Amino acid sequence: MKANPADYELVAPRNLSEVVALLAKQPGMWLPIAGGTDLMVQYSAGKLAARRLVSLWNLPELRRIDVADSEVSIGSGCTYADLREHGVIEREFPLLARAARWTGSVANQNRGTLGGNIVNASPAADSLPALLVYDAELVLISMRGERRVLYGDFHLGYKKTLLAPDELILAICLPRRFSRYLQYSRKVGARNAQAISKVCVAALGHSADGSVQDVRIAAGSVAPVPLRLPKTEDAIREKPLDAALLRMARQVAASEVHPIDDIRSTAAYRSAVVGNLIVEFLQLLKSEARRLNALQRWNRLSLESAVQEALPCCGSQAWARKLAERRPYTDFASLIAASDEIWNRLDELDWLEAFSKHPRIGDREAPTSASSQSASWSRQEQGAVADTAEQLRSALVEANSEYERRFGRIFIVCATGKSATEMLDILRGRLQNDEATELRAAAEEQRKITNLRLEKWLSQ
Amino acid sequence: MNAESIVGTPVPRKEGRDKVTGRARYVDDITLPGMWFGATVRSSIARGKIRKITFTPGIPWDEFVVVSAKDIPGKNCVALISDDQPCLAGEAINHPEEPILLLAHPNRHLLPQAVAAVAIEYEPLPALFTMEESERQNLIIWGSDNIFKKYLIEKGNVDSVWNQAAYIVEGEYTTGAQEQLYIENNGMIATFDEERGITVWGSLQCPYYVHKALMKLCDLPENKVRVVQMETGGAFGGKEDYPSMIAAHAALLAMKAGKPVKIIYDRMEDMVATTKRHPSRTRHRTAVDRDGKILGGEIEFVIDGGAYATLSSVVLSRGTIHAGGPYYWPNIRIRAKAVATNAPPHGAFRGFGAPQSLFAMERHMDRIAAVVGISPVEIRRRNFLKSGQNTTTEQTIHEPIDLEQFLGRGLALADYRAKKEQFRIDNQSETRKKGIGMATFLHGAGFTGSGERYLASVVGVEALADGRVRVLVSSTEFGQGTKTVLSQIAAEELGLPFADVEMAQPDTEAVPNSGPTVASRTVMVVGKLVQSAAHGIQQTLTAGGFLKKPYSPGEFRTACAKYIAGHGELKSWAKYEAPPGIFWDDEKYRGEAYAAYAWAVYIAEVTVDLVTYSVTVDDFVALQEVGRVLHPVLARGQIIGGVAQGIGYALYEKVVWQNGRMQNGQMTNYIMPTSADLPPIRVYFEELGNVHGAFGAKGIGELPIDGPAPAIVNAIEDALGVPLNSIPLLPEDIFEALQDRVQEEHFRATQGVE
Amino acid sequence: MTAERPQSEIAFEVNGEARTVYAYPMARLLDVLRHELGLTGPKEGCGEGECGSCSVLLDGVLVNSCLVPVLQAEGTKVVTIEGLTQNDGFKKQEGVNPELSMTALQQALVECGGAQCGICTPGIIMAATHLLRKNPTPNAGEIREALAGNLCRCTGYAQICEAVAKAAVPERTR
Repeated sequence: MKANPADYELVAPRNLSEVVALLAKQPGMWLPIAGGTDLMVQYSAGKLAARRLVSLWNLPELRRIDVADSEVSIGSGCTYADLREHGVIEREFPLLARAARWTGSVANQNRGTLGGNIVNASPAADSLPALLVYDAELVLISMRGERRVLYGDFHLGYKKTLLAPDELILAICLPRRFSRYLQYSRKVGARNAQAISKVCVAALGHSADGSVQDVRIAAGSVAPVPLRLPKTEDAIREKPLDAALLRMARQVAASEVHPIDDIRSTAAYRSAVVGNLIVEFLQLLKSEARRLNALQRWNRLSLESAVQEALPCCGSQAWARKLAERRPYTDFASLIAASDEIWNRLDELDWLEAFSKHPRIGDREAPTSASSQSASWSRQEQGAVADTAEQLRSALVEANSEYERRFGRIFIVCATGKSATEMLDILRGRLQNDEATELRAAAEEQRKITNLRLEKWLSQ
Repeated sequence: MNAESIVGTPVPRKEGRDKVTGRARYVDDITLPGMWFGATVRSSIARGKIRKITFTPGIPWDEFVVVSAKDIPGKNCVALISDDQPCLAGEAINHPEEPILLLAHPNRHLLPQAVAAVAIEYEPLPALFTMEESERQNLIIWGSDNIFKKYLIEKGNVDSVWNQAAYIVEGEYTTGAQEQLYIENNGMIATFDEERGITVWGSLQCPYYVHKALMKLCDLPENKVRVVQMETGGAFGGKEDYPSMIAAHAALLAMKAGKPVKIIYDRMEDMVATTKRHPSRTRHRTAVDRDGKILGGEIEFVIDGGAYATLSSVVLSRGTIHAGGPYYWPNIRIRAKAVATNAPPHGAFRGFGAPQSLFAMERHMDRIAAVVGISPVEIRRRNFLKSGQNTTTEQTIHEPIDLEQFLGRGLALADYRAKKEQFRIDNQSETRKKGIGMATFLHGAGFTGSGERYLASVVGVEALADGRVRVLVSSTEFGQGTKTVLSQIAAEELGLPFADVEMAQPDTEAVPNSGPTVASRTVMVVGKLVQSAAHGIQQTLTAGGFLKKPYSPGEFRTACAKYIAGHGELKSWAKYEAPPGIFWDDEKYRGEAYAAYAWAVYIAEVTVDLVTYSVTVDDFVALQEVGRVLHPVLARGQIIGGVAQGIGYALYEKVVWQNGRMQNGQMTNYIMPTSADLPPIRVYFEELGNVHGAFGAKGIGELPIDGPAPAIVNAIEDALGVPLNSIPLLPEDIFEALQDRVQEEHFRATQGVE
Repeated sequence: MTAERPQSEIAFEVNGEARTVYAYPMARLLDVLRHELGLTGPKEGCGEGECGSCSVLLDGVLVNSCLVPVLQAEGTKVVTIEGLTQNDGFKKQEGVNPELSMTALQQALVECGGAQCGICTPGIIMAATHLLRKNPTPNAGEIREALAGNLCRCTGYAQICEAVAKAAVPERTR
């Protein structure tokens, strides 16, 4: 800790008007501090120039989320945890909810605020590209009154904003008009958690008949400010989703960003990755379009045909019927949501019916045959390997039959990406479960299998 | 409790309850009455001379105690192997962050501004920042040739093999520095009075290293220096040598201030100023026959020692001996050297040279396989050391290790063959490329060569009148389980419940010198001594007629009470004696390099995402033979923890250097894995047993960091088909390598080259 | 150096007891707990909210105490590792010697090998306690996400996560 606390002043007014009055009285003298996740780091490093701070933490006027018909208004003092846990934000503004989840750790999400993140104006902040593509507006407050500005106009340069010295962000307003868009975002950090972005992209897209109708793209860590990419958007909008578009989008995006080499990454890498992410987004848009077509076709089928088509995804008649009854679905996500909900509410017998439609793991998992190995390998070695592989297979067969003896049905596991040893470990773990716990575990695995199969089915 | 079942069972960690309730006391948790706080003024240049020191106004300098090199009563050095590192720079500066002055003040918050207010004028001199610059010797910064230490291992006649070879395979492999990143920063408290001399309490691995350094620095006799280890929040080698420096600083301030002085580093100071793993470069040139059998080879192994010799000679030694891996080399020449650069000295870090040279060996095996056209499995199988064959130092392996069978088990556990084939097919269409790779390796336990004989460790066991037994060792606990496992050994040997054995706090006034807590030697070497000292207690009691076997803990208690009533105390000592038939030639680097080797097969499965060029380790199998596993939970914890550090070493942890100074000395910028980054690490043991170690145990602590990096990089090469020979391997590096490939393909296409 | 500011009187509840301290309002909660109140369970590993060793609960919410100016803790309830007891730490339990009592989570950490050097352990326990109160039956992914703000260099996290899962089991059977 390099700062001397005796050199600093901190006041904590009880309400917002006192804060605003203080800022009006001595504009520029007081630095607002909310959850401290940025300022306290600077302070401890002895790098906080401001000596007088005013606390905004937990002011009720700033810590509220209001949902109106046309927009959601988020108080600037709402924490990332508040954003993560809010149903409407999770559903309609998933890019913001996801960015909240990406930011720092749980402890930092409990303290870091959206307003603080905006004012801190780091080009690497995870939530800011999302605000750009959602067309966020900021309500700024001072003794002079409130004003509303486009968030897209807020950042003037590196760590420079249009906030006046006596002003605060009161709220961030998000128009509720993007729920039909495919919403894509990806953060590229040095690790999966607690990472500062090397690149971060948020994008919204809407396609029809194989063409992009509307698209909105923003990126972080590629310029001195969070950057909307209008040139790239223009290059994509109203174009057919084909290979030429992907190539061009990559090129335009790479020329539109101007990242730097720094301690965390290189400019060349960042430019390339932005291009790759935009291509990934467009590919998703393409497969979403394909799925949407398939879904629309399924929406139009007779109930019986619709049930029959869905059954291979999950063998429960009740599930398939209920899923078909709920048609039409507007997008793949709502199909998955409906499937999850239906599945979780089914009776035990329906679950068991679905389970009974699977082959046994050990039967399908053909062991590595020694004959596929290179003929040049010596007999002795083949012996050793085959021996152990054989042991593994027989262990799996044995554990499977123990499972069947114990629970009276076959073992269900979402096998995608799992090795035989992993499966054996899982199986042995699940054998420790009581009846009820195991039924729930198997049902959860079946749910995962169903989701994967629904995706495969509609992507065919 | 059934006493016989203590070894091999998961008894609760001795200090576990204190650690989970927050009661465990680390050095920064201690406040002494009247205590002051110390801070260090460090160099901002890499090399040069101090011209002038100015105490700029605005600081109440009269309230501070200031110590410079002139205040040192004895020799200005941190005594270790050679005494070349000054405790405080006098005139010459040899690396950034070199300590120059010490400040102390009763208010800790005034120190940072005071440190910043000391203005130092330098005469800068040219400096060396890479091994290559150092090797060129255009500028000499250490000794006469910039070389701290050289070794040469010669076995057979390498010069004769080249013209018999079907293939000659060359490769160059490099590894970066790695920060230990223990979560507890370094810290020390020192007091001084004329009568008792210096006492220091601190976070450290080797109380007697600190003891020796303080005696020399302060010119004090043995009994006027006391070193006490506090609970230590991680070390990994990083608290082997540098704590002597910090203890020296705290002691100098305490002597001058006449007050207890506490020095606690903050994270950045700890990262930029203290030791890291040595960066390395290894070149291989290997002659193999048509079938991939190694005929012989040359290995050149170079490590960057930083500005002072410190531990580089011994790190180099271990790296050199491990450079040939677990393979049989009929002929080999290994040339190794540690060179000087103007960076802070590199030091001990788990593995101690072996992770560097084994990374090269295991990458090179895959390269040889590719050249010969056989699989990575087959190249290893054909070259494994067998029981009865000898190592590069001509040490014959006597134990019945069958590495082929061992590898077979590892491959089966990882589903290696099926996965490799599956990935090959899937990769043709996926942008997420999967790969699987392996490393097979060994790690020698205990000090190298004659090291243990020179150390001549002593261990004590004391029985108390109430029947409790206390183990007296200077071996320290810093997470590995020293207290627990040594207690298990004593309890087992004496037939007592685990709870009846306690560990004395490592305190040079109370415990003998059982050697440093390094080199995976604690369980194997010190444990064996604990066993024999405990046995001595039993013998004393039985020989004196106080106790008859078999006995109950109650009878043992009664016997102790009776003996102590008559004799005052009951202590038993054991001193290290080399096992018979051990031969080591320090000149020729030939002979029994280690009393025992642990063996391992590690297999990593990875995904490389070609959208972000990032690597995810999806599965990790760690199979090892470490002799008898004395505590299954702690042993598994050592392996998982070591593998996690190895994954960091391979994929995340990059020290960004600029003019010899680490630029990313923050946990935000130096990236270690979080819980969200690690795969399932599946740990399996094979137990051969070993006659040397306590109850058949070998060393275990360092082994697991040797294998992950090569296994992972081999897996990445399997996924991408691009050779990658350097760690850390960050997404930016993979991006660059793939760009090179794209350019090369473009070149070939446009030039018509095939 | 600028002029010295006055200290403030700050009242809050720490581990179930009302406490008042005189401190500079920008003093870090971590330093006040450790130096003024002698609660050395929370540790400083990085001083920048990265390692989680200083984790405490502030009104039941997990925070890094190195990033909280003590004035912002005024009027709150703070729980440190020292305040956890068998009934989850929010009240001292009658008849249990607080020196000896451990929560199921603390016990599980000892049994599973989740504490090695122990320096990150108090923070890990606070983060896991916070998780289990919000989500009594977390799955493996949720445990790993919840602990991602607590760096541990010794364990590779596996045995910590196993301990959290084990501690969660009795909740599941309730």
